Amino acid sequence: MGLLTKDIERAPCTVEVSHCFESLHAHVRFNNGAVIYPGDEVKVHGPEIMAPFGQVVSEDREATIFRASKLEQLWTRLTGDFEVMELCEFSFSEEVTL
Amino acid sequence: MNMQTKHTADITNAEESLAVQQAQSKFDSQAATDLAMQNTLLTPRFYTTDFDELDAIDVSPVRADWDQLIAEMEADPNKGHFKKNADWDTVDWDGMEPELKKEFIDFLISSCTAEFSGCVLYKEMKRRGSNADITKLFQLMARDEARHAGFINDALREAGVAVNLGFLTQKKKYTYFRPKFIYYATYLSEKIGYARYITIFRHLEAHPEHRFHPIFKWFEEWCGDEFRHGEAFALLMKTDPKLTAGKNVLWIKFFLTAVYATMYVRDHQRPAFHKALGVDPDWYAHEVFTKTSKLTEQIFPITLDIEHPRWQPTLEALQAANVQIAAGKKAGGFGGKLTELGGSLKAALAFVKLYTIPTVKHRVPESTRLEPAY
Repeated sequence: MGLLTKDIERAPCTVEVSHCFESLHAHVRFNNGAVIYPGDEVKVHGPEIMAPFGQVVSEDREATIFRASKLEQLWTRLTGDFEVMELCEFSFSEEVTL
Repeated sequence: MNMQTKHTADITNAEESLAVQQAQSKFDSQAATDLAMQNTLLTPRFYTTDFDELDAIDVSPVRADWDQLIAEMEADPNKGHFKKNADWDTVDWDGMEPELKKEFIDFLISSCTAEFSGCVLYKEMKRRGSNADITKLFQLMARDEARHAGFINDALREAGVAVNLGFLTQKKKYTYFRPKFIYYATYLSEKIGYARYITIFRHLEAHPEHRFHPIFKWFEEWCGDEFRHGEAFALLMKTDPKLTAGKNVLWIKFFLTAVYATMYVRDHQRPAFHKALGVDPDWYAHEVFTKTSKLTEQIFPITLDIEHPRWQPTLEALQAANVQIAAGKKAGGFGGKLTELGGSLKAALAFVKLYTIPTVKHRVPESTRLEPAY
């Protein structure tokens, strides 16, 4: 990883989408142990994974990880905290008027 | 629904619960009609944090309380709660006043996204961590959030809104939060969530004529989950006294101010929703802040002085500034930009005025654990 250069790597992954009454969740797991660092971007290839209601869909896919440069990683570490308020649930969208 | 595997409601341990959720693969004839529904793409954010720091947490100083809380969560008191039963009366979506319907659907979608994002964050922490105490906790919390999201999703389906989970195949960037900021923000978010749900629930208990949708009947047990999650974060913070002392007290004050102010502004953007509930948003905000302040005394050495003469008028000024920003954005052009800039300056000033109100200090109790009492 260079100061300004981005590395790109491919990683096999498993995407799981649960669209059930009991649980609505979706996750990506990298199957080669790839670890995501601040500022990295991930793109899962292939068509949208749509789980019909009542189903859990699990698919093996290929993902591209766009590694952040050293500088970008540092920047994300420094500024990411400003976005932390997103974690708060207030149960309304940000739109002032609908 | 046809069930070969054990129903998630009938199992008692978290490992099994997640495994069954994953194994369940059922088909619903509704699926075909989903495509015709209004499609809402969920857009949760993705985070990383300092996982080594999380792994280094040692819960020994609070071991007894910790084990008791985890046992309670493993016993899963709400395992059978998130099911529709006879209490789920028919909702007259077509007869609902359009303004109210719009705001209520916005409420459901935002709630669903929030639960869903919580699930994504907790699951990530569970997956990346190696400290057994911590990963267990995050797994249990991910279970609850996914269950809440599923329940809200079902209410949305009834309203003809289908959530789209296709976001996973979009390119997404991972941002970074320091662990302590995650503690402050999620702790407050869970506790204020509890206060918000229970206040609405108690209000509707006294005024059932305002209960325009059955989902509110589920709020009492629902907020029990929020309460327990908050307890867990309180215990996590208790393991390291530095988190609630010194310069960090200024961060705590910042989070309290930001969370209260954001809630106030957002609630005031949804007048039809509050009118239908028969709730004055100013009364509601004050009630929720009072409860949240009382609860957070368990771990934070300060609370905000919400009775201070500057508090309420400044919140109102902040709300007005927010409306001005939106108006500027809508107007566009140079004039719009100026209006927007003016609004942003007013909002920043209002925030500073709120932040500089002296806090109320108090002694944090030896024992952290609380039971839901409202």
